[in-house]
Amino acid sequence: MKNKKIKHLHIILAQALFLIITFSFVFVFYPRTDVSISGNFVKFDSVNSDIIIISENSDFSNPSYIDLKKLNNISFSLKPGSYYWKPSNGIIEGFTNKFIIKSEVGLGIERDENTSLVNIGNVKVNVTKNKEGVMVGRIILEPEESEKIEDKGEYTARQEN
Amino acid sequence: MKKQITKLNVLTILFIVLLAVPFASSLGITPGRTVIDYESGLEKDISFSVLNNEKKNMKVLLTVSGDLNESITLYDNLIEFKPGDESKSFKYKIKLPDSLSNKPGLHTADIVALEVPEANAEGAFVGATVAVVSQVHVNVPCAGKCIDAELDVLDAQSNGSASFIVTVINRGKLGIGDVRAVIDIYTPLNEKVKTIETDYRSLEAGKSTALTGKWKVEVPSGNYLAKVTVFYDGESQSFEKQFVVGDEILSIESILVNNFRLGEIAKLQILVENKWNKDLKSVFANLIVYNEDNQVMTDIKSASEDIPSLTKKELIAYWDTVGVNVGEYSGKLMVRYDGKSTDKNLVLKVNEDSLDVFGVGYAVRPQGTKGVNITFILIVLVVILLVVNLAWFIFFRRMMGKKK
Repeated sequence: MKNKKIKHLHIILAQALFLIITFSFVFVFYPRTDVSISGNFVKFDSVNSDIIIISENSDFSNPSYIDLKKLNNISFSLKPGSYYWKPSNGIIEGFTNKFIIKSEVGLGIERDENTSLVNIGNVKVNVTKNKEGVMVGRIILEPEESEKIEDKGEYTARQEN
Repeated sequence: MKKQITKLNVLTILFIVLLAVPFASSLGITPGRTVIDYESGLEKDISFSVLNNEKKNMKVLLTVSGDLNESITLYDNLIEFKPGDESKSFKYKIKLPDSLSNKPGLHTADIVALEVPEANAEGAFVGATVAVVSQVHVNVPCAGKCIDAELDVLDAQSNGSASFIVTVINRGKLGIGDVRAVIDIYTPLNEKVKTIETDYRSLEAGKSTALTGKWKVEVPSGNYLAKVTVFYDGESQSFEKQFVVGDEILSIESILVNNFRLGEIAKLQILVENKWNKDLKSVFANLIVYNEDNQVMTDIKSASEDIPSLTKKELIAYWDTVGVNVGEYSGKLMVRYDGKSTDKNLVLKVNEDSLDVFGVGYAVRPQGTKGVNITFILIVLVVILLVVNLAWFIFFRRMMGKKK
């Protein structure tokens, strides 16, 4: 009976040891990565990740790979939308995370010698010109793009598809 | 909780606001679009922010339009910004009617933020005004199988390999077993240049997937038309999109800044790629950094380098950061070659021991080395423990049986 208890204890200890070793391995080699987002700029900070796998789809179909060894300290811009990402270091591929780049529709009017309409947001916009409630024109502007306009009427910007 | 204000109220507000002659108008709103999948009886608050980009005194009028305007209630109609207000957050309530379930497809509403125009001393409104829209898109699923699809064309450069990404969203209530796309490329003279077939995938209801096709670009630069047909379980949907085959010669791939310390000389490693089929002579980088008053604070140049055809090379520039304060600076990186220039607008975030460069593209490359998925590791761990314990249990059951 005593012998049986010792056997049980050995098996439990062996399993505990196995768990400790496995979790220690995962703890040491898990690719720990932080993401910081500022506007539509994204930056990954990591100690032990080599690659960030990023995709607009949760199943990582059509993924992009960011090589952190070569692109440390680099922020890059992404178009607005939802992104899934996971870090990898060649040993362990981390859990899937998600971040959202919010779209920003922005429109400005610059007045110097001419009057220009400027897309100050981060998405392509479809601008309609209205006079007395009637649409009289349409302009498509990419981010940072500008176009000379007549300094009259109401210009309304909507995110273009 | 007024939903919309009347025309009379709008006019009253406009006439009340009597300020100086305008110099510039600007207004922002985020998000530009909120997409909702239809659920019967859905009722919730949705946040949005109005941005006072110029940080000035401003009044903004909020209204709702579109076919879902009856389903949306604004909590605020007229908002006031002071110079210190960079942005303000608001909410609106959306309550979807049950009758919408009988109308599959896209339903929209616009939350319109209009900068209330300023009037001159005579009370007349001067100049154009701006308004920005936060769209609400509600997708009502169809009973059977139906899709939405769009095309993105990446890296369409002469003598390069372009990627055609067809994003397909299953808007139906049923899953799709097999979805694929065929893309026909036409010149502006309607001559077919190439037909590309994408891979094929299955697609669950309400989910999206990206189909990919590759095209070795062997046509001159210019505008082309892609006619896309998406086939899904015996049905098809077609659409068109115009795209440009460019001829980019030199691209700025990245900027590396290692071991940065404020007050010392920073080494900037600017990686550029010559995408032309000809060597480029005397290529150099010119980085201009502007201070808070938009005046040139730094103007540095790298040494000139020759870059062989279709290769990457690092241009090294040194920035003496003595006298530079911690903060964010805007800048412009110009890589000059052959009397031309490739430019990138940047934001440089300077800290005591780091320099973050925002705005340079990131390299996207397929990578062979893949780690073991953490979920897989944990599943294996659980399976091993289960097997060990099961074996242990069976072993001792047998031992007990033998003893009996």
